[in-house]
Amino acid sequence: MKILQNFWNSPIGPKTTHFWGPVVGWGIPIAAMVDTNKPPELISGNMTTVMCIYSALFMRFAWMVQPQNLHLLALHAANESVQLYQLSRWLKFQGFLGDKSLQQKNEEAET
Amino acid sequence: MASSKLQALWNHPAGPKTIHFWAPTFKWGISIANIADFSKPPEKLSYPQQIAVTCTGIVWSRYSTVITPKNWNLFSVNVAMAGTGLYQLSRKIKQDYFPDTEAAVAKE
Repeated sequence: MKILQNFWNSPIGPKTTHFWGPVVGWGIPIAAMVDTNKPPELISGNMTTVMCIYSALFMRFAWMVQPQNLHLLALHAANESVQLYQLSRWLKFQGFLGDKSLQQKNEEAET
Repeated sequence: MASSKLQALWNHPAGPKTIHFWAPTFKWGISIANIADFSKPPEKLSYPQQIAVTCTGIVWSRYSTVITPKNWNLFSVNVAMAGTGLYQLSRKIKQDYFPDTEAAVAKE
């Protein structure tokens, strides 16, 4: 009961805008999680790179802002993780992460 | 005189030496990335991503006017996010649900 009361009256609780903003913001990492099941051709390198830098900055912002907003921090930590994963899928698809087995196949095809 | 105003800005608690400045400033990158993606074919756009960008843009535009102090930088960056998201959505919806109009335009 005390936990619920503390949550209800928290400076970042459901009576404040500091709560509902992040609630809507969860749409961004959830959308990215849905997109992890789609083929990598559909990933935007521009948007994913920007998202990685954006969530890194906002993790720091959520920590430093008054009142400190751990909900926002959790949101951006989640987004950072999924965006980095999507970025790695995009990089691999573009051929930037040298796949040795692919190189071997190409060399064998040439000979 | 001008230099003391600049100094005041430089040393502001939400100024360029702090995260309170750079995080909202960098958020413009999301809209810029979306504008760069205007040239992408609509098949490659993601409905979940663009809906999320549009909705957060709309809601955060509202919130930036009710927080203290009102943050017009945050307001404008979220208006831009909602705007670019809506445009990308309209491009994808047009291609997915109204392909006849595009064929008619192509014939002309």
